[in-house]
Parts: sequence; C-alpha cells; structure tokens
Amino acid sequence: MVTITINGQEITVDDGTLILEAARGAGFDIPTFCYQADLMGIGSCRMCLVEIEGQKKLQPSCITPVIHDMKIHTDTPSIVSARAGVLEFFLSNHALDCPVCDKGGECELQDAVHKHGPRHGRFGEVKHRFHDKDYILSPVIVKNSNRCVQCQKCVRVCSEVVGAGVLGSLGRGYEQEETSFLKNTLDCDHCGNCIEVCPVGCFMRLPYRYKSRPWDLKGADTICPYCATGCRMVIEERDGTVMRARGQLGVGINSETLCARGRFGYDFINSHERITKPLIRKYGKLEPVTWEEAFEYVKDNLSRIDGEKIGGIASARLTNEELYLFQKLFRTVLSSPNLDSSTRWDAAAVENFISAADMTGGGTSVFDCMEADTVLVTGTQLSEENPIIDYIVRRISATRPINVVVASPRGMKLDKSAHLSIRHTPGNERAFLDAVTLSVLSAVKEAPGSVAGISRLRGVDLEALLSSAGVSAEEVDALAKKLLVSESVSIIAGTGFLRYPEGSAGLGLLREVLKALGKEVRVLPVLDRCNQRGAWEMGVLPGTGPGYGGVDKRGLGFYSMMEGAAKKEIEALYIIDSDVLGDYHDESSAMDALNALKFLVVQDEFMTATAEMAHCVLPGATFSEKDGTFSNQEGRVQRIRRLSVPPGKARSGLEIIAGIGKAFTPSFVDGARVSSLSVFDEIRQEIPMYSDVSLVFNNKKNTENKLDNREALIKDSGRKIVPPAVEPERPEEEGGRPFMLVTGNHLFSSGRLSTRSAILGELLKGPIVEISEADAAELGLNAGEKVRVKGERFEAVLPLMTNKGTKKGVAFIPENFCEAPVARFFTPGGGVPRVSISRA
Amino acid sequence: MLTEKVKEEIRERIKKYHNRRSAVMDALMIVQRDSGGYISRENMEDVAGMLGMQPVEVSAVAAFYTMYNYKRPAGKYHIQVCRNITCSLLGAEHLIEHMEKVLGVTTGHTTKDSMFTLSTVECLGSCGTAPMMQINDDYYENLTVEGIDEILKGLK
Amino acid sequence: MEKILLKNLGKPDYHRIDTCIAGGGYKALEKALKMLPDDLIQMVKDSGLRGRGGAGFPTGLKWSFIPKDPTLPKYLACNADEGEPGTFKDRGIIDNDPHLLLEGMVITCYAIGAKTAYIYIRGEFQFGARRLREAIAEAYDRGYLGKNIMGTDFCLDMFVHEGAGAYICGEETALLESLEGYRGQPRKKPPFPALAGLYGKPTVINNVETLSCIPAIIEKGPEWFKSIGPEKSPGPKIFGVSGHVKKPGLYELPMGTTLREIIFDHAGGMSGDRPLKAVIPGGVSAPMLIPDDLDTPMDFDSVAAKGSMLGSGAVVVMDESTCIVKAAYITNRFFSHESCGKCTPCREGTIWLTNILKRIEYGKGRPGDVELIESLCTNIFGRTFCPLGDGAVMALRGALKHFREEFLYHITNKKCMV
Repeated sequence: MVTITINGQEITVDDGTLILEAARGAGFDIPTFCYQADLMGIGSCRMCLVEIEGQKKLQPSCITPVIHDMKIHTDTPSIVSARAGVLEFFLSNHALDCPVCDKGGECELQDAVHKHGPRHGRFGEVKHRFHDKDYILSPVIVKNSNRCVQCQKCVRVCSEVVGAGVLGSLGRGYEQEETSFLKNTLDCDHCGNCIEVCPVGCFMRLPYRYKSRPWDLKGADTICPYCATGCRMVIEERDGTVMRARGQLGVGINSETLCARGRFGYDFINSHERITKPLIRKYGKLEPVTWEEAFEYVKDNLSRIDGEKIGGIASARLTNEELYLFQKLFRTVLSSPNLDSSTRWDAAAVENFISAADMTGGGTSVFDCMEADTVLVTGTQLSEENPIIDYIVRRISATRPINVVVASPRGMKLDKSAHLSIRHTPGNERAFLDAVTLSVLSAVKEAPGSVAGISRLRGVDLEALLSSAGVSAEEVDALAKKLLVSESVSIIAGTGFLRYPEGSAGLGLLREVLKALGKEVRVLPVLDRCNQRGAWEMGVLPGTGPGYGGVDKRGLGFYSMMEGAAKKEIEALYIIDSDVLGDYHDESSAMDALNALKFLVVQDEFMTATAEMAHCVLPGATFSEKDGTFSNQEGRVQRIRRLSVPPGKARSGLEIIAGIGKAFTPSFVDGARVSSLSVFDEIRQEIPMYSDVSLVFNNKKNTENKLDNREALIKDSGRKIVPPAVEPERPEEEGGRPFMLVTGNHLFSSGRLSTRSAILGELLKGPIVEISEADAAELGLNAGEKVRVKGERFEAVLPLMTNKGTKKGVAFIPENFCEAPVARFFTPGGGVPRVSISRA
Repeated sequence: MLTEKVKEEIRERIKKYHNRRSAVMDALMIVQRDSGGYISRENMEDVAGMLGMQPVEVSAVAAFYTMYNYKRPAGKYHIQVCRNITCSLLGAEHLIEHMEKVLGVTTGHTTKDSMFTLSTVECLGSCGTAPMMQINDDYYENLTVEGIDEILKGLK
Repeated sequence: MEKILLKNLGKPDYHRIDTCIAGGGYKALEKALKMLPDDLIQMVKDSGLRGRGGAGFPTGLKWSFIPKDPTLPKYLACNADEGEPGTFKDRGIIDNDPHLLLEGMVITCYAIGAKTAYIYIRGEFQFGARRLREAIAEAYDRGYLGKNIMGTDFCLDMFVHEGAGAYICGEETALLESLEGYRGQPRKKPPFPALAGLYGKPTVINNVETLSCIPAIIEKGPEWFKSIGPEKSPGPKIFGVSGHVKKPGLYELPMGTTLREIIFDHAGGMSGDRPLKAVIPGGVSAPMLIPDDLDTPMDFDSVAAKGSMLGSGAVVVMDESTCIVKAAYITNRFFSHESCGKCTPCREGTIWLTNILKRIEYGKGRPGDVELIESLCTNIFGRTFCPLGDGAVMALRGALKHFREEFLYHITNKKCMV
C-alpha cells in the first residue's frame, strides 16, 4: 500500500495503482478517451494529464502508477487549459457533422467539450478528410473516419479482447486511420465491439444508422437471450420496433462487450410472422379463440388423460418463473412426472453432467475460475458457443500467468491464447480426460486414497485411450504436468458432455482426483441456452425436482416421450418454444409420434412445423416482452426486463401457464394476476439455492471493470444427485465415410432465435460444412464451393468452409438450420456419425 | 503469390530475430524490390501468413513507413527529391519545378510510360552535399539543373 | 586535436577490415576483453561521455542500469536512424569506417552482457546498410563476432535492421517497436528500455557516434577523453555543417568549439560572404541562434544556456537571403509529416501549425496568426507523448523569438521581407 495526496486529500491505495484509478476512486473526475480498464493503457489521448509536484511536465494519469508520497493535482489552471487544448485539437479536424451523426447525444467528445471547453473554435484551415461518404466494413459495421479521435480502442478491443485482430491503423500522423486490412470488407466475428467502445460516431451499427436519435429510444436493461453466459445488455426500441442492443461499460460480467448474436440478433422480435392469437383446431383447421376458450380447451383435453401419459417440454429460453410454474403445473396439477427442457440432450446425460460439474454445489464465478493457475477448456467450441467467456479468458490470461489449455476437435480462436491446444477426436472427451487422469496419477508417488470411481481406471489400457481420443502421450503428459504444478485448476466444460454423455464420467473423475491431490478445483459449465441452468434448477427434468431435489417417481425425458407417443404410452404433450419436429433426428418418426397424440399443445412465438400439428396453439412472448429471471451458466440469477408488450393477444409464458393452472385449480397461483416477483418469492422458498440471491443489479456502472456481482450467485444446495448410468455409445462404422461429424452452435447461429434474425442471416446466409484446411487440400476442395456431405441415412449439399486448426477427419455442420437439419445425421446413442465429403 | 526465391529470402531474414514478426520490415522491402517497387494486397497477405501476423498488421506497417509503396505501382525509377531545410536553402524547390517540367508530371505522380515516379521527401541525411535526391537506392548529391538533366538522360 | 571519429575519413578502402586492422582497428576490443565488464562500464562513466544522439544522457550511467542477472537475455540496439534534418554525421562513420562502430558495439555488448546487437539504420541509407553488412561479415570471419570472440567465452551476434522511412524511429522506444515489427510509435515509460526494452528484455540504445567513441576511451583511457573539451561534456564531437557556407561537411572538433570557429574557421565562412542571419545549432528541433550567439561554445550545457540545444550537432547556416517564415514552415512541415499519430497534441497540433505557416508563407496570413501559433505551441509543448512535438514547438518558438517581425510583415504585407 502507498499513501499519496490528491488535491490535498490523503489516500492510501495498492502498489501499482494508476493515478487515474486512484483519483477516480477518491471521487475526482478525470476525463479520458483512450483509457479503458480492460484494455492495455496507451496514454495517447492526453486528456487525463495531471500535475505531480516536483515534475516539470504534466503526466498522463492513465499510465502512470502512483509512488509513495506522490502529491498529485487534478484541477489546476494548467490542467484545465491543457484539457481544453486537447479538445480543441480533437475538434480541429473532426467532421463536426453532429446533426447527422448517430452518436450525437451520446457522444463522449460532445460531452467532454461541453464540460471541459473550449468555448469557441479557432481552427480556420481546411479540414483533413479521410473520405466523403461513410464506408461499409461489414453487414453490421459502417465507418466514418472523419470523426475519429484516434483512441485506438477499436483496434485494442478487437485484438486484446475479441482476439480477431482485424483492425489496425493505416497511415500515420494526422492521416492515421483505424480500419480494416486496406479498408476491405471485414471477414471477422462481426461482434461490433469496435462500435461499442468507439467514443464518437466513427464505428457505427449499419442496421441502426440514421434510424433514430438516442433520446428517442426507450430501453430496458436486460439479459441476452442467446447462450447461457448471461450478458447484460440494454435493448432499445422506438415506436414499437427494437432498434439496437448494446452493452454497458462496467455493467454485467460482459461490461461493454457482446457477441454478434447478442448485439445484432435482436431483430427476431420485430418479425412480422409472430403468432398473435390463441388458436384451436376446429374441423382440422386452427381457428382463433379467446384466451378463456383456449384455457378451457386445454383443461378439458388434459383432464381426460392420465397424468402419467402427459409430457411437458419447455424451452431453456423461458424464465425461471415460467419454468418453475411449468413443472409445478405438471407435478402438482396434472400429476405428470414427464418433464424435460431440451430436445437435444438426453435427460440422463444432463444429470451426469450436473453431477460431474458439481452444479448442485452452487454458483461458480467465471472470475474465480480465472484466478486459477491452469484453465482447461474442454467439450466446448468456446469461441463460437460462449464468445464472451472466450473474451474473458483471453483478456485475463494476457494479464496474469495462467496456463490456458484448449482441448477440442475443432480449431478455435482461443487457441491463440492457449499454451497448449489439443485436438482430440469428437465424442471422446472421456477417453481423453481418462488418459489425462492416468497421466496425473502415474506422476504422483502416492495415489490419493478414496476417490469415488477411481477403480474404473484400474487395468485400463492407456494406449487404447490415446488411440480412441486421437491424441499423443506427449500432449496428455504436457497437460498433466501443468495440472500437477498448479495449486488451482479450473475446467470450463461445455455441451460436448451433454452430446456425448460418457464424457461426464471422465470429467467427474479428473475433478475428484485433482481435489484429492489438494488442488482447488472449479468447474464452470458453459451452456448454449440462456436459461439452461435455470431450467434444470427449476426442476424441468424427469429425474430431479426443483433445486435438484428428489422426485417420487422418475418421469420420461424428451426422447422417451417421443418414443412413448409413437407407442401410444404418451397421449398428450405440452411443448413450449421447441420445434421438436425440426430438431428430431428422424423427421418421419417424429411426425408419426406427434400424429399419434390425442392432444398436442404448442406454445410459441412463431408458427413452427410442430405448431402446425397442434390441437391448440398458444401465442407466447419473447424475452423482451416479459419480466423474470434467467440463471446463467455460472449460477448467477439476473433479471430480464420487459421493453414492450407482446403483439396482438400474445402473452408471457407466465400468464399462459398460470392461466392453464388456474383453469384446473383457482389457487394455482396467488392473487388475480401472476407476477414474476411473486413466483420468484415462491422459488426462494422452495429452492434453498435461490433463497438469498439478490436481484438488484448492484454492479453499477463503473470504470474499473469490477464485474463480478457475487450477490447474484446461487448457493450450495447441499444435495448430490445420483445420475443414472449412461449406456456407452456404439460408435458408427467408418463405412467408407472418413469424416467424423460434429455439430453445435455457430458464431452467428445458435438456434431458432438466430435463424429468425434477418441481420444474423446476413452474416451467415445458411448452413455450411467446415473441415480442416489440410483435409480440404487433400480433397482438392476450396473454401466456398459446394460439397455433398453424405451420412448413413441423410445427406446434404452445403458450402464448404475451412478451419486451419481443426483436427483432420473432423467435419462440422452447425445446428438448427431447417435447410440442413443436422440432427438427421445422428442417432441417439449411436455415437459420432460418419460422413463422406465430395464436390457436389 | 510470393516467389520461392522471395520466400527463401524472407525465411533467411527471420533468422536474425528472436521473433518472426520482426522480419516484417525486411520482408516488405524484399517483396517490393521483387515486384517492381510495389507491394500488392495479396503479397501482404502472404507475408502475414509467413510471419504469423494478421494481414491488417502488415498493412499497418506498410502504411506507416514512407518507403513502402502499397497504394499504386510506381515507375521504374522512383525519384525522391529532398525538400527539407538545407536542400531548400540551396534551391530544392527550383530543382523540383525543373524536374516536373522535364518529366511532364507533378510530384506524387508517375510518367505515362511508367518510367519515372517523382516525389518529394523530407531529409535524406545528406545535408552536407545538398541539394540532393535519391533514385531507387542511389543518392545523387550536389545537384544542379544541368546535373539533373544529365542524370535523367542516363536513365532513359 | 587528434581525430578519433573521422580519423579514417577519406582513407582509401578503410571500410575493409584488413585496412582497418592495419590501421590499429580492433586493438581496443582486444584490451577490453581482458577486462571485467563492470570495469569497462566504470571507464565509460569516468570518461564523462554523453550520448551523441541529441539528449546528452551519460552513456556509462545508461549502461549501469542494465540488470546484472546473467540468465536474462540483453540487447544492444545501435541507433543509426539518422533523420533529424541537417544531420549527416553517422553516415560519415558508417560509410567510411564501419569497423570503428562495430568495435565500439562489440565492446559495449561485452560490458553490458548482451549477446545480440542490432544496428537500426534508416532505410534510405542503402549504401551504408550494405557497408555495415559487409563489415559484419568480415568481422565474423575474423572472429570479432560470433562464437568465442578472440578466444574468450564471449559470444555475440550482430545484425543490420533497416528502417523504411520514419523519423520517429530515432526515438528509442519507437525504434524498439519498429525492430519488433510494429509501427514505430513510442512506448510508454516506465518501464525504461534498460529494464524492459527489445522483446521486453534489458536493452541499451546508443547512437552511432556515441558507440564510435568507445574504442578510443578504452584504448587511451577515460582521463584522456575527459581532457578534450569542457569538463561536463567532454570528448570529440562531429559537427555537420550545411547550408550557406563555403565548405559544408563534417568536422570533428572538441566539444565546446564555438559556433564562430565552426562556421568561419572550419566550414570556410559564409558562401558569397553574405552576412549570417541565423543558425540552427543542432538539427531542426534546436531553436535557431543569431549572429550575437556566434561565440557560444558548442557543448550540451552552453548551447542550452542560450535557450537552444546541441542536439545532433547539425549546424544549419542561413544567410540574409533566407526567409525565416519559409524556414519555419519547412521545419514544421517536417514534424507534421513525421508525427506518428499516437498522441493528440502532436498529431493535430503540428499539422494545424503547418497549415497556418503555409498560409503565412504564401501570403494568406491573417491578423492574430502569430498569437494563435504561440497559443497552439503552449498547447503542444510538454503535453505530447514523446519529444517530437516538443521539437516542433522549440524550433518554431526559436524562429518567433528572433524573427517575430518577419512573421508579422508577411501577414500584413502578404509577401516576404527578404
């Protein structure tokens, strides 16, 4: 600690604190342009100059650390005049076209000049202009360099945080321009973080340009509806149309950053294809009815069916409150144990993962994970699936000595930040992690005593593990060595463990062994639906109740329900926000199963193929049209806020589920109108993990990047779940099809919301298949050309993309495109599908 | 596409440094010399690939240093006349005007036959022998109008 | 005075190692390698040698900041990015006596424990770069570079790194950025290069002329060196005289030789015997002096006392036919052209000043321009990231200090006084 004096006030701060941080911490305002807490300091804008006694020149406070006894002044006449001088320089060649600038009204340059002068301009020369018209850098980014203040935040965020590194400077001096490679169109993440950090109207959103003035926008501070990272963002609308989404500096774990999906995928809300009225099938046709009729209709039909024969599938994009009420409806009103929240993951896989990742143990902050000595990323295409976690790993690992290890079949952006990148064959997380565990155990003199499940490894042939994982002993040993020298280890584990459930056994064992060796181990589950964790914790699972509690009778999961329907053991389904027909691996059997139902209720915002088959369609609301909470993957409970009302007669899921419940039992919810807050109170009572979480957004806007709002983290449930054993997958035969097919989210597409976004559709026009550069070269194929992907039962013709870092023999097709329903290549329990790829 | 010869030369330069990226300045100059005094976009991408850089980082280097020419192909002879203080004191502007007249181009431009590109530069460190100019790699010092005519004649 | 730095200027073939060795080259290295590195640093400290690049920082002191940890890689970067207008002294050494520089560098590396050295030469010096590469190759052949130099344990690799046209790379941290393959923009300090320089490792950056002084100091001893010129800035200095003089060129003279002696005794006096109007004593960043200042001894402290600086010792002589407004415009144009773009005052301020000066020069001056210039100078000076912006202001302030009337005349009468 050092003691310094700022403007006569004595303060004590940590060694190495920057003067700027110390001053702001003590309440003194210092204006800046180039400073941002999460970017490397460059000290270039000169707005933050301060006076240090004993030094002749004013010093940049944003890059100057405090020294004991330093006497600093932040407000002397020379500082005041220096600030005005710098601002005058900024304005000298600045376009000053504020009336037509998108940034007008929320521009840091405007604000700074307003506050710090100068009061009149003296510039009487011809302004330097970079170009006459804005130029388009990407389908979402447009640029006007004449407004640039050269703070380099765009360049820095792009390389230091996003890791894309596609922006740089052209020219020098007054001709220096931050732009893309020779001003060409960008082939990048299109995340728009360059826009967000831009203090002026230099980088702009193309879809938003000229659409509104900032003061005409009405906003809601909410949570991104895409992956489960739980990024805080503000969505803003004007006259009923959502105009933009933006991050906020120093707010949420993401601060200003968002990914392309979060920042540009909002426009599905504005879709004209929304369902606006409840519909009931009459004489084979869906006809509009009132809500009362609909509720009665649902009640009449469901009450005629035995609870055991009713199934419920609710999307993991619903709020905790909706999901809680949904399972309550099933368990207490309908007496049905058949509940699931995913059409992709087998319920047993989910339970195994929950156990392996120790999710019952409460919330895990990503920032705590990044305190570890080693961070292992496994079972996830993190850079594409959870981009903001990728940013956090990149940013923090650049400032602290952390071993970052990336293990995956495909190459990803995070490889560049990794000390070790391991490419294993798809679906073999278990073989890979078991090999690592064996390597760890072989290196310690005394094997840890009682580790549950360790006996599993006895007599296991390491060579066989290595060969099925497709990795070398050296790679595994290198990772084991890093783990052994680490006092703390974090494992970032993703949906690969849900897709290939065996992997969880490997994950759980490695975690237990490392713990037994005295290491602090954290597992951060990384999931791809905004409220996946919440859905599980609300009890929308066949095997666990709310808060991972036990259930009287184990129900059926999604796959079993579909099979049951085909066998007429399930007679009714209530499906919310899931297009099971599109997601199912076998379209015709799904069709048969749904056709066999006596009663199908579908609640959705859009008329999906599944909804077309329903007896009753209930129009729901998007995330922007309702209040409630999401639990992100860390177990952070965060509020979403209503921006606007749903179209037509559409209602929030909470109102719909409560309406059905009340049709059965008037006391289903308290009071006449159900509110998310009262349901959350019930959740607090019923689910002890949630009893203490604070819903107050208490990491208020700050500039120090203190983003870890720990009061929102759920606590240990004190429970352990005993998951059912999973059947080992039977690997699909190679059969002349050399590629192993993997699927998952794409950076610009992660399911039904993104495919409804026209803006995201511009970024990824349709499904693609991606293989390694090396494979493409061997096959004589070029990126961009159409290829035929042929599996055992299904084939598709898709444009080819290549990835330098991907393991040979691995092919990837993103999930969720109706044009290429990748699920059709898969068979549940059938292991990794094999495909051949040839020129179409 | 970089020729194998250029690639080999670049690989050789990489050995000088403890970091591949350090060779970017040499690499750009090698490419420029090999490609008629011009660095194309494709060549920048290739250099980036060889040095583990992003293309935008290569263009940033190319655009920072004045000796790299990436905007448009230059003439066979790039004439750079110093116009800084000492040369100016000793009549550089006069010489520049003369050359513009003789070559029929204004500074910053290339003759129609692509033989000469005429530019002005700021101090080439030859003030003791001012006024001076540089044509491609060579310095021409103690210039006079007559001397320039002679030099240009020799280059045709 | 016995010449040290330019002693071999004009000797045929002196850039060849055989000629050089025959003339006594690499004798100092032989002596140095028998000494302890710390003793060498002490010798250089004792000699009072101050950096010849312009700032005049004590060389031995700079070396002594390098950590002694033998496991840390360390570097020497020779600053041969000679670019300050008026300056052509380093080129004189590089083109004619490259082995003098190399010998100085090998000794320096031995003293600071560096195993790799780079010569950062400005890209336009193609001839010089070639000379250096040839000289380095010769030195490797003779065992003055490479493994086990002269039979000792000391090993050193040396490379030429060519710049590509950026004056700013003469600033030491910008030079390092450039060496690492980035745009040559200055780095923040601290950390200073002595602790975290090239590739983040301890690095000494010295000018060509500074390093070329080293062999003589080792050979003849610090006392001898200190006896040349004034006590506080001793040693020989190369003055590059250009402009309106009869014999422009390089003159190696003791520090403290007066401007009058340099111009009139050595450079042959004013061309056409026209009266002297102004003289820039140390490259264009140095504020100009006037005939009244002719008896100023040319050493760091004496020139500073006159409100200017010795800088690189580049003496630009201007006779009465010189338009000071034009000279100021040209000088400022240079700085705005070379401003790297990093910090606001330099990037925006220098081009603004250039535009105003250009207007005045071309008869479009406005009343109040001089006051505006002065105010802008205030807003730049001391507030920039590196000294480039300060240099622009110092030059301009120097011109205004002595020739304000000439600027006002230009503005009022829309034409030149001379």
